[in-house]
Amino acid sequence: MQDKAKNGGSKPFYKNSIWYFFNSLKLTLFVLITLAVVSIFGTVVEQNLPVEEYLQKYGEKWTSFILTARLHDMYHSYWFLALLAMLALNIIVCTFERFPPKWKALLNHKSEKFDARLIEKFANHHVFDVAASPEAVKERVVNAFKRKKFDIITSGSGKEFHLYAWKGRIGRLGSDFTHISLLLILLGAIIGSFAGYKDFRAVFVGGEMSVPKADFRLKLDNFWIDYYESGQIKQYNSLLTVIEDGKEVLKKQIWVNEPLYYKGIRFYQSSYGTAWNRVSEAEIAVQTKGRSEHNEPMLVKWETPTPLSGTKYSVKLIGYAADFAYDEGTNQVFSKSAEAVNPAVHLEIYDGDKLISTPWLFLKYPGIFPAIPGADEDLVFTGYRGIMYSGISINKDPGTNVVWAGSIVMGLGFILAFFVYHRRVWIVVRESGKSTEVKLGGMINKNNLVFEKELKEIVESISSEKAGGK
Amino acid sequence: MILSLVFFTFSFVFYLVTALLYIGHWVFKKKWIGQTATTMAFVALLSTTMILIARAGESGHAPFSNLWESMMLFVWATNAGYLILEYRHKFRAIGAFVMGLEFIAMISAFMLPYRFKSAEPLNPALQNKWHWLMDVLRPFGLEKYAIGWLDFHVFTTFIGYAGFAISFGLSLIYLLKERSEASGTKGGIMGAFPEARIIDELSYRAIAWGFPFLATGIVSGAVWANYAWGSYWSWDPKETWSLITWFIYAAYLHARVTRGWRGKRAAYISVAGFLAVIFLYWGVSFVLPGLHAYAS
Repeated sequence: MQDKAKNGGSKPFYKNSIWYFFNSLKLTLFVLITLAVVSIFGTVVEQNLPVEEYLQKYGEKWTSFILTARLHDMYHSYWFLALLAMLALNIIVCTFERFPPKWKALLNHKSEKFDARLIEKFANHHVFDVAASPEAVKERVVNAFKRKKFDIITSGSGKEFHLYAWKGRIGRLGSDFTHISLLLILLGAIIGSFAGYKDFRAVFVGGEMSVPKADFRLKLDNFWIDYYESGQIKQYNSLLTVIEDGKEVLKKQIWVNEPLYYKGIRFYQSSYGTAWNRVSEAEIAVQTKGRSEHNEPMLVKWETPTPLSGTKYSVKLIGYAADFAYDEGTNQVFSKSAEAVNPAVHLEIYDGDKLISTPWLFLKYPGIFPAIPGADEDLVFTGYRGIMYSGISINKDPGTNVVWAGSIVMGLGFILAFFVYHRRVWIVVRESGKSTEVKLGGMINKNNLVFEKELKEIVESISSEKAGGK
Repeated sequence: MILSLVFFTFSFVFYLVTALLYIGHWVFKKKWIGQTATTMAFVALLSTTMILIARAGESGHAPFSNLWESMMLFVWATNAGYLILEYRHKFRAIGAFVMGLEFIAMISAFMLPYRFKSAEPLNPALQNKWHWLMDVLRPFGLEKYAIGWLDFHVFTTFIGYAGFAISFGLSLIYLLKERSEASGTKGGIMGAFPEARIIDELSYRAIAWGFPFLATGIVSGAVWANYAWGSYWSWDPKETWSLITWFIYAAYLHARVTRGWRGKRAAYISVAGFLAVIFLYWGVSFVLPGLHAYAS
């Protein structure tokens, strides 16, 4: 307000009614309380579900309301972001308005004019007499404040001294640090949402995965689960190799809580499972037609031609479906689910070099289709060894470091704002008859209880006899 | 019966006695009751410490991993925080409210079903230890005692909760005291409490501890989430509610420097803040789905 009067008509162009709207603590309170209240909606209405689930839960009328008000993705809705933007503008304008004059006052505080009569107007003030010369009392005052880690300056001489003591000036900057830290965190979030991405890959043991927007690939060497002795799961682990320009440059074991970080991208262990479209090997047995028992099964590796002992045939394992299904429209075989409900393997059968048959064999329904038409032998699928896949989340977020920087600034701001108090005390030491009168009073920016106690201790140490020397 | 639950039984009785003594001191204004109350609060604090130590021994990790364990941490931190407040400001009557709250917390911990109380090994998502700390401890063979983000996150959060709990007790007292001051009654049942403006100041001090600690808890949770789940913030209900709570207390702090919002309105905000804390702590775990839902 004082600034306005000083500047008269030459206000800067931006200081219009919008500026003053944002320069308001009432607005801060309004935005904070509104943010608190509306954030509740997003925790009650589950976020980012398919529309059908909202219809099922809330019915048609409420679903259309949820969708219109964007309550299904509330924290990214324009109105929620607008509230955050309001908070940010509020912070920016308040900082611009309050910081420069405060900074100036903090720098020039020593040269500030002070009217000694004001001392008794402070809520915290003391007036008392000390039986000693003004000079000696002044020394006592200086020592008493210095012992409490105050800085103090003296003016005057002979019969009257004016003193000014202060401590914890930097605490005043705490709120500014905190406010700026919030802006930094918001900035980090914005950088992340524009320059980062999230993705997911399921990769088989032994397989490789591509990484979006990066010039390297990852290979999954192994996946395994650790157990406690009690049988509870202890940890999921993947051993990853980074491959760049065809060379292996880095190997790292990741687990939940221990991602791989390479070239600004993080890779997380996020799920696992057994492959639904691949196995490492299958057990195939030969069965002579008309006999109820089959021979000893043989191990057939994935895509490796294997001669079937005791016959002229060889087989190659080329396909697997965990939950066999057949789409008549496209003539395609697929797996209905990832579970091994109806496991089936796809084989190529060769007589010498000649491909004679490509049957599907079913684990649960042996012999329903003959594997080799017109032959005396049939093949039975008796078992398999599945391949584990590891689900790897990929996350690139260049804003993260800005968020951490903001968090550190915030911590610093809190320490200054909550635990460093700015105290200012003015003291007049004046000869009054045979003794000396001391008037002291001052203020603290917060935590008045501490200040009351501190001033009382200072007054006691000035009044007491011993206080003269250190 | 495991040792931590034996200590729990003792502590339960201690908190009951402590709360009754503080209430007795408040009503009868006898100094010796107050001194006994403070002594019992110390005994209860020691006993709660023993619960936590015994539980750490039983489960093989810091005792912060299920609802019951975190309740013990809450009770411990609130008790310790209160005793510091009492020591520094010498106002004993406030203990009636804080220790009453502690006893209610003990009752709710007692009523938890056994599956929230049992000592369990950590599941994969909770296993996080600081590598640098393990490296420091390794030469001494103590690396299994290294702590990590889980421990830091829970510990700082609960110091925050304790600050808010104390401030809640003080705000209730403030509202009662303010009313009795406004009606001009001196002495009486509210006479044992210091002036309203002092209670307001103490309530602020408690929040001045709680607020940065909650913020540290949120940030350390974000750092940890960034390791464990691949994103520092995912609007999980627990995260959102922690932010809601933080907004409310931020509003409290700004209310105190705004004319017309000091005192009574600020006290109401502090009460609302603590209700949010209770929901953040218990409500989210039981009612809302998400990564922090222990009850599923």
